[in-house]
Amino acid sequence: MVELNSNFIMNTVFPRVMKGAIMGALTYMVVYYLPLALLPDNLPLSVMPFDYRSQLFQFAVISVFFAVAGQLFAKTVIGHGFGIAKAIVIVAYFLVLSNGGMLSLTVPIEDFTLNLTVDITIILLMIIAVNMLSVAKNLLGAIGILTEKSTDIDFH
Amino acid sequence: MKIATSMLTVATIILWVVILFFSVTAVYSVMNVGVNIGEAKMLPTSNGIKFSLPFSINNNGYYEIADLNLTTRVTDPDGQVLDLTETLVNSIPQGETVNASHTIEVDLDDILSMNHLTLMLNDSNFTVKIFAGLNFARAVPVQLSTNVSLPWGAPFADFSVGTLSVSQHNSSHVEAAIPISFENHAIIDITGTLKMEAYSNSDRRVASGVTDINVASNQNFGDSIHLYARAQDASNIADGGKLHILFETYLFTVDWWEPYG
Repeated sequence: MVELNSNFIMNTVFPRVMKGAIMGALTYMVVYYLPLALLPDNLPLSVMPFDYRSQLFQFAVISVFFAVAGQLFAKTVIGHGFGIAKAIVIVAYFLVLSNGGMLSLTVPIEDFTLNLTVDITIILLMIIAVNMLSVAKNLLGAIGILTEKSTDIDFH
Repeated sequence: MKIATSMLTVATIILWVVILFFSVTAVYSVMNVGVNIGEAKMLPTSNGIKFSLPFSINNNGYYEIADLNLTTRVTDPDGQVLDLTETLVNSIPQGETVNASHTIEVDLDDILSMNHLTLMLNDSNFTVKIFAGLNFARAVPVQLSTNVSLPWGAPFADFSVGTLSVSQHNSSHVEAAIPISFENHAIIDITGTLKMEAYSNSDRRVASGVTDINVASNQNFGDSIHLYARAQDASNIADGGKLHILFETYLFTVDWWEPYG
């Protein structure tokens, strides 16, 4: 029994943990490190509609968590569940962050205040669309796994 | 099932690439849009004052800027709209520069017709609400708005009537000299005639006089206006009453009542 568990850990758990770690690191690089490196250093926080560093960090935490969880439970119903949850969390995150697609910003300039409103509804709809595709993909994946299991014949 | 899943994966990747590409190029484009605002000019016109603000937009980004709309609304301290002006630029294509000018014309006759006598006699502040809207890449509408306070200089600021003195003009008439003073805080020169009529306490017109005035912008006026009345009305003038003051200039006509005596 102990030997079986060791094999399971070495053949299944360890590769998945490794994959999860690599995917987590890659996601961190792409989602957090790379955008911060591309953004100009002298970008003043006052001209941004939000504290972009902390928001980017929050998004990176969400992305890394789901990337690691997705790898740990890859090709399982739970993994697809995490995929659906990731899509829904990202949609909710962008909806809240963008105030429903209307970014508003108040910039004080000398004696007066400049109010800026940017309607990013189209970009938000694209993000929602891509995440709905992800939900559909994960649902189909989960249904596929459940269908295979229900039609498997156990000869032992 | 696997084909459908693979196709959805491909579609998801393509959409993410499109979103990222558009977002990155849009941010880059916005950073490469140059807006130059020229010196605002305030000029007198045949019927009032004109504010002109020249500006140019240099679109060095990847996307067209469409439906640029600059609107200004001038309101008096009571919130009444004095002017609403709109400047439209239909399109600023990629790589092009557009020069435009936003001009606000304030018609003094309009101000007077709205019974804004206080604006002629007292300095004030107008509120200019500025709205700017544009459609970036015909996909992302952007709106800017701000409030600016604009000082208004009254043409007859600090108007005051001094003490009247009556003297004999000839055998049938007396002459009443009324010192008046005001400061022309407006950017326009006041050139025209000042007609003054004195009414007794019983609302009877007892004297009148006319004089030419020419007061440059930001200059003071101080002089005595001579009114003539019949000799028997000398006591009525000296007892006090009210003055009907009528300014007629080539830009506007304004009249009001002032007590004297």
